[in-house]
Amino acid sequence: MSEKPHIVKSYEEQLQLLKDTIVKMGTGVEKQLENTIQSLVKKDISLAEKSIKDDELTDKYEINIEEQVVNLIALRQPMAIDLRETVVALKVSSDLERIGDLAKNISKRLTKIGTDLPNDITKNFEIAGLKASKQVNAVLNSYLHRAKDTAENVWNSDEEIDQMTNSNMEAAVKHLEKNKNDIQKVTQLLFMLKNIERIGDHATNIAEQVYFLITGDYLEGDRPKG
Amino acid sequence: MSKIKAENVNVYYGSKQALFDVSIDIAEKEVTALIGPSGCGKSTFLRCLNRMNDVIDICRVEGSIKMDNLELNSRKLDVVRLRENVGMVFQKPNPFPKTIYENVAYGPTIHGIAQSKEEMDQIVEISLKKAALWNEVKDRLDEIGTGLSGGQQQRLCIARAISVSPEVILMDEPCSALDPIATAQIEELIDDLKKEVTIVIVTHSMSQAARVSQKTGFFHLGKLIEFGPTDKIFKNPDNQQTQDYITGRFG
Ligand SMILES: Nc1ncnc2c1ncn2[C@@H]1O[C@H](COP(=O)(O)OP(=O)(O)OP(=O)(O)O)[C@@H](O)[C@H]1O
Ligand SMILES: [Mg+2]
Repeated sequence: MSEKPHIVKSYEEQLQLLKDTIVKMGTGVEKQLENTIQSLVKKDISLAEKSIKDDELTDKYEINIEEQVVNLIALRQPMAIDLRETVVALKVSSDLERIGDLAKNISKRLTKIGTDLPNDITKNFEIAGLKASKQVNAVLNSYLHRAKDTAENVWNSDEEIDQMTNSNMEAAVKHLEKNKNDIQKVTQLLFMLKNIERIGDHATNIAEQVYFLITGDYLEGDRPKG
Repeated sequence: MSKIKAENVNVYYGSKQALFDVSIDIAEKEVTALIGPSGCGKSTFLRCLNRMNDVIDICRVEGSIKMDNLELNSRKLDVVRLRENVGMVFQKPNPFPKTIYENVAYGPTIHGIAQSKEEMDQIVEISLKKAALWNEVKDRLDEIGTGLSGGQQQRLCIARAISVSPEVILMDEPCSALDPIATAQIEELIDDLKKEVTIVIVTHSMSQAARVSQKTGFFHLGKLIEFGPTDKIFKNPDNQQTQDYITGRFG
């Protein structure tokens, strides 16, 4: 359902700016996450460093969005779809900020332990990481295109990342049992694996918000696992 | 519980139709807000509920409007009794050019409600207290009502309306000429009154409708387009026209 424009042009522009800022922030976070994962895939620490650096911009976007939202509520008193647009932007921006933060955290751990890591674990990390990236990408698309089905798909497939994470962590512990000398690296990798799962959770939060934005209803039922 | 049930109400001014098949259930001891663009028929509908359209010669009301089980749109109806039961507050405060006391005592006097001077004093005091005006006027009850400020005059009119203990109060843009403080006082009063009284309020302020009412009806071009719980109307209305109107979009 595409909405007609507001009679007051400046209001229309402010709401558009809010949506644009979310999309820009989301694109930045996606790039951060991609750099974080590619840093391991390509064994290129500079990519991790870039992700850490870019998190500053993500944080700035979050503050900017919060200011826009407070202004809209105070000065425009948005109603109905506009109210959902405004409130959802606030929540989505905070989930995006968390995703950026988790990507940064992974990158920081990577800069500590370097890229010379047990292959069996990093392979698992890459697969889960790419899956999480896909989820983030899909949920941002669902926001941009107001695609309810895409949001629902993201919501439904979070379970896969959760299961992957469980088995990845078990595998990492098994590796550790056989290779006690890897303890430093594997401990960091365990946190990194867990962070991927949490990124998936935030993508799921965003999916719920997008669904609410479009329909005004809450996604039914329990979250798959969670 | 439904207090007023309107069914297929059609209203004509001469040959021009102003309301089309309006059906609405107004719940008892709740606030129902009526919103919609200028000229959509809100005041016309409100006037059906206390037969104020009778005073407009060319106006003709068809359909059924029942209060409890009494048919309001009947020739046999005792209109004076009805207006005792259904009070009205207008956009512009319209106190009589009489004292504050007389303004409030007027209704109880013509309806023969008070048996003694003491009883009348009591009714006046209680009505002014309920209207949150007592403290401001208790020492000047014999001053002329039209000498009060706009917000005070409006509360005086509300005191006048409630002095006969009506079951329903109709308000047609009661706050449009008031500042935010006087508006808040009236809204507080509405919250308080709804414990005992059924209130129907017409307002052009979306935020006021959202604040004071439990149900909201959206009128457009003489039709009731959407009617439902106020939070639903303002968070996620079913009808696109409703949404366009409340969000300020081109309709
Ligand atoms: N006394 C009258 N004689 C002729 N037509 C009238 C009369 N009162 C209202 N109308 C017409 O009936 C329609 C509905 O008017 P009404 O006053 O009920 O609208 P409203 O929704 O209360 O508008 P507003 O928000 O401007 O007060 C309008 O087209 C108006 O011109
Ligand atoms: Mg009117």
